[in-house]
Amino acid sequence: MKRKGMVLFILSLALALVASACGGGSGGKGGGSGSSDGSYTIAVVPKLVGIPYFNASETGAKKAGEDLGVEVIYTGPTEPDAAQQVKVIEDLISKKVDAIAVAPNDPAALTPVLKKAKDAGILVMDWDTPADQSVVELSVHQIDDQQFGEHLVDKLVELMGDSGEFAIVTGGLSANNLNTWIDYGLKHIEANYPGLKLVTERVPSDEKQQVAYQKTLDLLKAYPNLKGFLGYSTPAPLGIAQAIQEKGLQDQIAVVGTALPTDSGPYLEDGSLDVAALWDPGKLGYLTVYLAKHALEGNKVENGMDVPNVGKIEVKSDGKTVIMGPPTDFLKDNYKNYDF
Amino acid sequence: MKPIVLKSLAAIKLTGYEKILLGVFACLFALFSLTAPNFLSSVNLQSMMVQMPEFGLIALGLMVVVMTAGIDLSVTYLAALSGIAIAWALVQGWPVPLALAAGAGAALLCGSFNALLIAGTGVSPIVLTLGSMILFEGIALRLTKGGSISGFPESYYLIGGGHIGPIPVPMLIFAVVAVLTAVLLNRTAWGRGVFMIGSNPTASKFSGIPVRSVLIRVYLFSAFMAFLAAIIMTSRYNSAKVDYGSSYLMQGLAAVVLGGTSITGGSGTVKGTVIGVAIFQILSSALNLYSISPHIVNVLMGGILIAVLLVDYLVKMRQRAARLRKAKGSQASSGGNAG
Amino acid sequence: MKFLRSKEGGIFIIVLVLFVVLSFLSPVFLTFDNLVDVVQTNVVLGILAIGMTLVIIIGGIDVSVGAMTAAVTVLIGKFMVEVGHSLPVVLLLAAAGGTLLGAINGFLVSRIKAHAIVVTLGTLSVYSGLTMYVTGGVWINQLPQVFLDFGRIRLPGDIPIQIVFLVLVAAFTAYLLKYMRIGRSVYALGGNMRSAERAGISVARVQMFVYSYMGFLAGIAAFVHTSIYRQVDPNAFNGFELQVIAAVVLGGANILGGSGRVGGTLLGVALLALIGNGLTLAHVPSFWHKVIIGLFIAAAVVFDVLQRRRIEKQLAKIDVLTS
Repeated sequence: MKRKGMVLFILSLALALVASACGGGSGGKGGGSGSSDGSYTIAVVPKLVGIPYFNASETGAKKAGEDLGVEVIYTGPTEPDAAQQVKVIEDLISKKVDAIAVAPNDPAALTPVLKKAKDAGILVMDWDTPADQSVVELSVHQIDDQQFGEHLVDKLVELMGDSGEFAIVTGGLSANNLNTWIDYGLKHIEANYPGLKLVTERVPSDEKQQVAYQKTLDLLKAYPNLKGFLGYSTPAPLGIAQAIQEKGLQDQIAVVGTALPTDSGPYLEDGSLDVAALWDPGKLGYLTVYLAKHALEGNKVENGMDVPNVGKIEVKSDGKTVIMGPPTDFLKDNYKNYDF
Repeated sequence: MKPIVLKSLAAIKLTGYEKILLGVFACLFALFSLTAPNFLSSVNLQSMMVQMPEFGLIALGLMVVVMTAGIDLSVTYLAALSGIAIAWALVQGWPVPLALAAGAGAALLCGSFNALLIAGTGVSPIVLTLGSMILFEGIALRLTKGGSISGFPESYYLIGGGHIGPIPVPMLIFAVVAVLTAVLLNRTAWGRGVFMIGSNPTASKFSGIPVRSVLIRVYLFSAFMAFLAAIIMTSRYNSAKVDYGSSYLMQGLAAVVLGGTSITGGSGTVKGTVIGVAIFQILSSALNLYSISPHIVNVLMGGILIAVLLVDYLVKMRQRAARLRKAKGSQASSGGNAG
Repeated sequence: MKFLRSKEGGIFIIVLVLFVVLSFLSPVFLTFDNLVDVVQTNVVLGILAIGMTLVIIIGGIDVSVGAMTAAVTVLIGKFMVEVGHSLPVVLLLAAAGGTLLGAINGFLVSRIKAHAIVVTLGTLSVYSGLTMYVTGGVWINQLPQVFLDFGRIRLPGDIPIQIVFLVLVAAFTAYLLKYMRIGRSVYALGGNMRSAERAGISVARVQMFVYSYMGFLAGIAAFVHTSIYRQVDPNAFNGFELQVIAAVVLGGANILGGSGRVGGTLLGVALLALIGNGLTLAHVPSFWHKVIIGLFIAAAVVFDVLQRRRIEKQLAKIDVLTS
């Protein structure tokens, strides 16, 4: 029995030593706002780590940290789970960071913990997806949700005309931002394009290209008169496009979606994907860090402010909602200009 | 209050394995206090005490099921569904106690689905709960259309955010439930039944144990634990959604195994599971404080699970070797009979 | 007649019924085009389920299969982009990589005698954590043209080449189980571990083989998957293990071990595939899909158990009569 105890003890010791060595760099700095060298520690929390979109934001955020001389901690849950995200934020509070910028998986779920952060003197802001506005000091939006939802629909209409059947493939039924864009888009259709007919409820694809591909093949057969597809979440439009490409329907069916330019390349080339609309997630990450530092230094955001490497931002009349800019359309002739 | 707590703490006996587990916990705690930034800060201690219960309750439920050589893969979606029921009721304006009853009802309904089918038909728990897991997720999706339900009355936050003294309410709930579970397992016929069914189902059947009724209560217990976890989660997160806590299944199972419960059933203790849960909790908090990539955290958690299994095996081997040596020794001294 | 009475016979009938119902519900169901699509989109599930069949026959389980497949896709993806693109080499690398991961599982299960579900739970975290850490979740595009062209090959009759892989894997595994010694050992172990041991079968060796074979097939599946989707997404197989297990169980294998056939598993895969395909073709709104699938699985396994009980009771009667 003693032996086992020794072995377990040594194992855990080894583990903890390895852990502290790995985290040594940032662990050493310890807590306290405005640490010894006077630079701020800004934590940026995505919905989850490990997907291309949030990887691109991380690159932007880290670059801003370098350019501006602030320490950026980019961390988040490994799954889009609100519970895990709450944990991450609670631990950041314990670390006594100066600012927390979070892209909430579920806005309501974070309110209590963000309140705690605020009470602890930490600057709280949201990015990518809005959190409870009564708790955040800044809300950084990449685009205006309504504008984006409507833009996607407008692009679809441009391609397929204003009457006909279309289908929606989304990343997941429980993804807030996707649902927001879809809902705005549907309202827009009801008001302005009554000739468009949605054939069935939005179809989830589990954030996986192969599921979107499979579901699109099924949809094409179930509804042979489809003229267009809207794809939400970065893998979905690619899965849809692949199915269209497979069946040689590039000219008959319009596909518009939210996708990254480099991944969309092959499908934009042959027209299976017509328009990929998104924004530069790297810029968003950069902007978030920039604005965090800006606010920590006691400055207010101004409408029309020019942010280096980002451009002119729009600030709404409430003084805290920031819109990075209009959506960018990635098309066959311009997608090569982007590296994300 | 204090003397009772201390006396009952003193009365708790720990098995050898549990002593070691507690030792590991203590060492890790000490190490993290020294090296992880702000580990001992009241903020961190508070958040650890608040994060542990929802995970711990699910682990307790899983433990009892695993002790009967079963498993419940549906427990996290069951909790989500229960939370959704509570949330819906609160938003409709029902008073809190009634809303809680709605959640309990939903949980017990789902639990009965599992319980009756498993106990009644003898179907294998892993495949049935695979089906019920998908079913519950589907129902939750159908009810919420993927969105979340929020907008609870202020008084509800007290459950997740309230304190009694320095201890958060969820932790108190967990402590009480843990004690009750231990009592149920050790001092009731049901508890004895749980142990027996896990160790030897056939013998249990023939020794007059009402296997069916015990099993039904086991899965209802797991569902009730899920309900309690749902209360804490909806109160802490201020809303209910289909995918809250979906990561707790794997982690819960790992904590249960770490705590000494045998996956083939028949043994397990509440103390072991509690310590196992605590170890996972401080590990995950400390690793976050070290700013280690969450992916590496996953790797480490998996590695620890395997390491524990390895150590367990090595110890068993040594024990067996020691026993063999003793047996051979006594044989030799008693005249050395062959075979 | 005997076939129809068997477990697989029952499932075959269900599949047949589904076929008929679906052809009525949707005019496009019974077209060659649709059926080929259904098969192609489920080739990977099929290959993995065949591997899982052996694992379940010996009474084990492997929940790390999704993580293993993802890890191998990353392995071959990086190889093709950074090193070389000789197809046979890539295939070999995939098979070897998968086998290694599977062998680790096999080693842990056979040597430290811990239960398979716990061991593979651990390796799942390790494999997927490492895969995510190494890639950071970034997709691997820019795969070499040679590979992309290979993925697009179609045999006469417009059959995608990936289906050939499934056929070969199924045929070989069926042969292995029925005619090779290791196959018989697998069934023996699953039926009764103690008697198998006494009959001279090395439990550890069979376990090692079975888990390594699962890994091997995961490698093949990774190769096939990447050839269809032409990019590597480290997250593509999150949670996939549950579908694989469901397919095997629906195909009639007993989760406690001892029985299971390649043919049955293929029927199980077909069942899952048809339900998915069918629900969309039948215009059922997506919110209902999981509810229906969950109920279906629960019903199928309960029905299966009740069937088995009935057969056992009949056998017991015979015993009494003849004694």
